[in-house]
Amino acid sequence: MINPEHDAQVVTRIVQQDFPLWMSVTFYLAAFVSTAIFFYGCYIQVRKYNRGQPFSLTHIKKGIVDMIKDLLSHRTLRRRDRSAGLMHALIFFSFVLLFIGTVTITLDYDILRPITGRMIFWYGEFYLWFSFVLDIAGLAFAIGLLYMMYRRKWMALPKLNYARSDRTQEEPDYDRSWYRFEDWLFLWNLVIIMITGYVLEADRLIWLQDDPTVWDYRWWSPVGTLFAEAMKSMYLTSEGAESFRYFLWWFHALTAFLFVSLLPFTKAKHIFTALVSLVVRNRRSPARLPITDATAESIGVRSITDFNWKQLLHTDACTKCGRCHEACPANASGFPLSPRDMILSLRELSNNTLQKIKIPEAPLLKVVGDGVNQIRPETLWSCRTCGACQEICPVGIEHVPMMVDIRRALIEEGEMDPAVQTALQNLQKKGNSIGENKRKRAAWTKKLDFDIKDARKKPVDLLWFVGDYASLDPRYQKVCQSFARILKTSGVDFGILFESEMSAGNDVRRVGEEGLFEYLAENNIKTLADCDFSRIVTTDPHSFNTLKNEYSELGGNYDVLHATQLVRQMLTDSQIPLARKLSKRVTYHDSCHLGRLNKEYDAPREVLGSIGVEIVEMPRNRDNAFCCGAGGGRIWTPDPIDIEKPSELRMKEAASIEGIDAFVVNCPKCMNMFEDAVKSTGSDDKLEVIEIIELVENCLADD
Amino acid sequence: MKILVPVKQVGIIDEDYEIRDDGKNVDVDFLDYEINEWDNYSWELALNLQETYGEAVEIVPLTVGPDEAEDVLLNCLAKGGERGIRVWDDALVDSDSMAIAQVIAKVAEHENADYVLTGTLSSDHSFAATGMCVAGLLNWAHAAVVSKVDITPDAQQITVNRELEAGIEEEITVESPAVLSIQLGINEPRYASLRGIKQAKAKPVEVMSHKDFGLTDAEVGEMGSLSKVRKMYAPEHSQAELIEGTVAEQAKRIAEIVKELKGDT
Ligand code: SF4
Ligand code: SF4
Repeated sequence: MINPEHDAQVVTRIVQQDFPLWMSVTFYLAAFVSTAIFFYGCYIQVRKYNRGQPFSLTHIKKGIVDMIKDLLSHRTLRRRDRSAGLMHALIFFSFVLLFIGTVTITLDYDILRPITGRMIFWYGEFYLWFSFVLDIAGLAFAIGLLYMMYRRKWMALPKLNYARSDRTQEEPDYDRSWYRFEDWLFLWNLVIIMITGYVLEADRLIWLQDDPTVWDYRWWSPVGTLFAEAMKSMYLTSEGAESFRYFLWWFHALTAFLFVSLLPFTKAKHIFTALVSLVVRNRRSPARLPITDATAESIGVRSITDFNWKQLLHTDACTKCGRCHEACPANASGFPLSPRDMILSLRELSNNTLQKIKIPEAPLLKVVGDGVNQIRPETLWSCRTCGACQEICPVGIEHVPMMVDIRRALIEEGEMDPAVQTALQNLQKKGNSIGENKRKRAAWTKKLDFDIKDARKKPVDLLWFVGDYASLDPRYQKVCQSFARILKTSGVDFGILFESEMSAGNDVRRVGEEGLFEYLAENNIKTLADCDFSRIVTTDPHSFNTLKNEYSELGGNYDVLHATQLVRQMLTDSQIPLARKLSKRVTYHDSCHLGRLNKEYDAPREVLGSIGVEIVEMPRNRDNAFCCGAGGGRIWTPDPIDIEKPSELRMKEAASIEGIDAFVVNCPKCMNMFEDAVKSTGSDDKLEVIEIIELVENCLADD
Repeated sequence: MKILVPVKQVGIIDEDYEIRDDGKNVDVDFLDYEINEWDNYSWELALNLQETYGEAVEIVPLTVGPDEAEDVLLNCLAKGGERGIRVWDDALVDSDSMAIAQVIAKVAEHENADYVLTGTLSSDHSFAATGMCVAGLLNWAHAAVVSKVDITPDAQQITVNRELEAGIEEEITVESPAVLSIQLGINEPRYASLRGIKQAKAKPVEVMSHKDFGLTDAEVGEMGSLSKVRKMYAPEHSQAELIEGTVAEQAKRIAEIVKELKGDT
């Protein structure tokens, strides 16, 4: 590899050879200044996060392991955008190599060499391999960057358009052109560092073309050599290259220093913030909202400093990739909400206030309002807490808890839609959001030709928590009756709580009425404590989620099953006497609370499969399923009539599938939304909205 | 300026209900309780005035009712105000508007109130008389069905809009002190969060009896009332008919009814 005639020590790269002293001194000074700015910037950022509330981390080890897995596999980046993920991987891994390369040079040339008087390892064979690897890495880096430019300029992806859906064109923070500038600055800065690096290398090769310890080994830097050949063909001579070298050298160095010093202040900081964000993220938070002290003097987030440091850091991790923006049902329907824009508003608000030496006066810290970088109440109330944003965010930002935190403060201040207020008042008075008398709760059982056991009085194996929508919505009452008949026919020992059951409080918690949630939960827990049962089942994914994930914090620990999970188990055990199978082709809608929030995608599909139903998947399914629009308390607020509701968008998605005759749901609220949407989109001649439970009942023998 | 706001806990009847054995009231087993809807609006008005004028305005909710009725005070205090008053005594059972007004008037005097804001009526008994009685007893001015008010602290006179029939509004001036009976829709009552209600438990509620104000048992309760319930019952005949069937059948039946009523057949 190394020609024996050559001294291996000589086969290396000259760095500052022939530099006058002042030049070397200036170089180190510039390096020092940019590093100092970098560290100062880091200090400002850390101080900013520290100005948030304390937050203690649990599972930090697991967080780190997960982050490393995320990083090495790039799985969060590849999802639903393979090319962006691949290209980011090129950029990331080559950046890491280039960074290691730079550190190696600094170590040997700037630290070890002055001490020992010679290079320790950066020469000879090691140097050749080093050159080769970095040369290729640089190429990969440049390809990745050029692709990102292409995405921005020519693909014109809607998700990369930063114009806001919650502002009008006249408003100052409507289009945020600074963000586009920042993106381009970031990309150009890196591209220029790369290109000048190659040109500099080529220039060095040409300058030293007569030195065999350089020229003979030139193909170890293939890209640089190609540049050199090109430059030579443009008649660049050794002397010309020598004089050109200083300029190039400085240009390359200064762009690199610029990058380093801008890093903590621009998009580039996601290199750090995204990693920490992935370590501290809690994937379960939409399903189990972080607990809060409902007895505290004040609750929720009013001021930017009411967020905890983790949340402030999340806002800085956002890379504006727009995946959440694209996934959000509220945004798709034209509501004034984009999860990305919410995060970015909070980021700007925190940058403009908490990066200052002194924290400004309280009014400037207010999160909710009409001003620039404040969030409007209508934005917050548009959210369905469906978790689609959080699910897809490649850097692990938790939008939903932040949304709910701000809502909690709005609820305390009484700032909400009158319809939400009515629902909450009904829940306070009657334990259900519809405002029906408690005694009406079990009225649906009267249509059955058998009695359902009263679980308050007799021990049961299975306690069925019906849920308020399921109990009181006339359409869904039919599903409850079907489920009761399935259980009865299969000989299951089950019972319900009749008028003692109150709303489980899932949606109450998500609109931010924490006190009422606790009241409802404590009442239900008390009622359940007096009953003798082994498991809980419910057809309602909202109740399922809260009973399963959130009651434990208040002392209610149960084995909770969704109806489809129970039915799957019963079908496997041949416990349900099926008289026939159906031959239907349907499409299936994953409800957010069963699917994305609790990752139960298979039970409903398996149930459908075992009764002979063929599923044609919707374009957006499983973790990418599109919310019906009813979550987070939105079922209580009528959507404006001049928009296309999330449920209508979803119904059209289903209606575009050929050869199916039903739209299968598994949730009372989805049922309610889609019963309307199937009519309003004119799909009712083609599709029938039906519950899985009803299909299963259709397979029982007629009596 | 001090504003006294009498609020009432009313019973809400379930669809299936039974009349008490003595035939004079609905059996309590079939009642749910909540704050009278109108009183949410009068309390909201008081809250708005206090928010506008700050310390110059003191607002106090008052209820005449047993222990359980304290819930309505908590509901008010969760939204604002520093203290509440509850007056109760077994002798107050079966009081009508006049007897309750006796108590309210005494409290108003005792508190040196400048205004008493009542609801226009209460949803359970619908007398719409308490406000008027209080004004009569105090010899203050009174305006009923108030849909808009302009009160400033220390004003000798205030301007008040009253809602009349057929959507007509009447603007009048009223001498202060005055009793105003507030109509629905005058404002948008705020929400009392459950946390707020719990925290309101820390605010003092003074519990008193009519005797503390020098009223005798004969002036309150059934004896002090000007009216008495003789009998409560559901009228036997009902004109309602549930029309069932397909849309076409329903339409046909409606047409028949219209014709019947017009006497076409
Ligand atoms: S939770 Fe759903 S509705 Fe809310 S911002 Fe995220 S994607 Fe949009
Ligand atoms: S919040 Fe996450 S998904 Fe949304 S734009 Fe930012 S990085 Fe992308």
